[in-house]
Amino acid sequence: MTTATAAPRPLTNRTLGVVRLQLINTQSLVWVPLIVLAGAVAISLMIIPLIPFESTRIVGSAQAPLWYFVALGVQAMTLAFPFSQAMSITRREFFVGTLILGVIASAMMASIFILLAGFEVLSDGYWMNGHIAYLPYLFESGWIVGWLIYFTVTMFLFVIGFWMATIWKRFGTFAVVSIGVALALLVTFAIFLITKMQWWVAVVSWFVDIGVLGVTLGGLALTAVLALGTYATLRRATV
Amino acid sequence: MDSVIQVRDLTKTYKNTTALDGIDFDIERNTIYGLLGRNGAGKTTAMSILTAQNFATAGSVRVFGEDPYENPRVLSRMCFVRESQKYPDEATARSAFRSAAMFFPNWDQAFCDRLIDEFQVPMKTIIKKLSRGQLSAVGVIIGLASRAEITFFDEPYLGLDAVARQIFYDRLLEDYAEHPRTIILSSHLIDEISHLIERVLVIDKGRIIMDQSAEEARERATNVVGDAEAVESLVAGREVLHREGLGRVASVTFLGTLTEEERRAVEASGLELAPVPLQQLIVRLTQHQNTSETEGALR
Amino acid sequence: MDESKPLFVQIAEMVEDQIVDGTLREEDKAPSTNEIAAFARINPATAAKGVNMLVDKGILYKRRGIGMFVAPGAREQVLGERKAAFADTYVAPLIAEARKLGLTADDVTQLIAERAAHTS
Repeated sequence: MTTATAAPRPLTNRTLGVVRLQLINTQSLVWVPLIVLAGAVAISLMIIPLIPFESTRIVGSAQAPLWYFVALGVQAMTLAFPFSQAMSITRREFFVGTLILGVIASAMMASIFILLAGFEVLSDGYWMNGHIAYLPYLFESGWIVGWLIYFTVTMFLFVIGFWMATIWKRFGTFAVVSIGVALALLVTFAIFLITKMQWWVAVVSWFVDIGVLGVTLGGLALTAVLALGTYATLRRATV
Repeated sequence: MDSVIQVRDLTKTYKNTTALDGIDFDIERNTIYGLLGRNGAGKTTAMSILTAQNFATAGSVRVFGEDPYENPRVLSRMCFVRESQKYPDEATARSAFRSAAMFFPNWDQAFCDRLIDEFQVPMKTIIKKLSRGQLSAVGVIIGLASRAEITFFDEPYLGLDAVARQIFYDRLLEDYAEHPRTIILSSHLIDEISHLIERVLVIDKGRIIMDQSAEEARERATNVVGDAEAVESLVAGREVLHREGLGRVASVTFLGTLTEEERRAVEASGLELAPVPLQQLIVRLTQHQNTSETEGALR
Repeated sequence: MDESKPLFVQIAEMVEDQIVDGTLREEDKAPSTNEIAAFARINPATAAKGVNMLVDKGILYKRRGIGMFVAPGAREQVLGERKAAFADTYVAPLIAEARKLGLTADDVTQLIAERAAHTS
């Protein structure tokens, strides 16, 4: 007769185990974003020739996969959290593990965009002077910051999705929808105000002044704040 | 008493309802418990709170002497598979078991493999596409192979047919004999599990109405059948749970048992005595509770 | 497993039955608690209680680290107990039932003699 009372695996292993748990959903986490990216690039390449020939034609539709990261954040919560509870995983382990997953995914996406940007530079914009990934503003402080801004935007969107899904889990659909609507109203009002007061020039030059590095650091800080908000919400969330 | 779980004054209220009403109980180490009660009585709520998946409104829970909330030391020694457990969208049975192997320190893969064979669980099919029975089997296998020191089974075997349920009970007993652990089986199929369990905890409307050994529970009430007058004079002064009648014949269930002498006297006078099986006892007790609204006096 | 007697008593009686009919002889190893529990599909603690009852009565004894064994004289002891209880267990209900049917003690005795002759 044996009653094994083995110590639980060290906490780092359990947290990394959460990453592996999340990766069960390989299709949603890996393949779909890649397909979205491939589709967005293809569509962009088809749009570029339609733009009147100037020195550069910039198409923004490649941002589609970035927005998809909101969905990734949502799915990371809704598809995996109930099962993580059954696996006796703590909410903190789940949070950190999921965040790590977001970091890995964002890093990969950022790297893909950098490769794309590199190709664009080398090929003079797909031989059409078209740019999808290499947007001059983003790379004015160099390639590392260029990678970092892509990483930050992606991670930011991931955490938004993660937080929204966590709020949904804890407070229900009504709460999330209310918050979404409130945010939309806020953004709309901000745009209205800026337009009314003709502040657009000021806004744009502010961005130019702090530079892409400033935006990146600000974005990272904001993402960190959102992540903390997610954790606070998650702590009392139930399946 | 070596208790691994101590619950004191546990209360859980939602906006309009009280799911758990200040309950107290202890769970002893390496004992098989039956956590019984009707649907909605509070069983799943209690188990969720014990595993920190849900939160108490008031009261305290101590597992291995500690608060289980956000406590990986304690939580990793417990396993709670729900009746309708949700799995990741793309999960197969194989990936579910792989995950379980990562997070349960006592996981026994060989045992898991044997159970997969016995329950005939398809390993590569997406869990969403499994039949109800196969889905329940996955949950049951996780619970069994986890060898978690405290393992809850929240009616996950409801989807199993009678043959599979018997396999579950047999494997459970077998493994418990070789590797004792604390097991809490929640069920409303009481008679099926009444021989497996050592102790009985009955929750009704958020209150504990029974907390004793299965043996004591089996001897708690008696049923007497016979001539209505004779029956009534026998049960006079005893607490009656249930009465039925057919013409001059009455069948009455009452609390308490008779001594050997009393039994012989009763049987000699033509009345028949019978024990009350656990399921019937619990049904009668809960009905009795509802009609006479006695509070906790039947503990 | 029926419901009229405590489970552990039924377990004890099951082992005693095996002793009486010779399946288990003196100094034979009795089935282990876990074996009994698995066979009867009951909780091992209940099986253990039944076995312990037999140890207390002196029907079985324990050899440390090896298991439970049938004690010398166990069969005689069980037979003796059962003979003593025979009247209560079988004769009293027989008489009660006979009375219900209006049979006298002599009627019953005659029936017993006839049946015994047939089946010997």
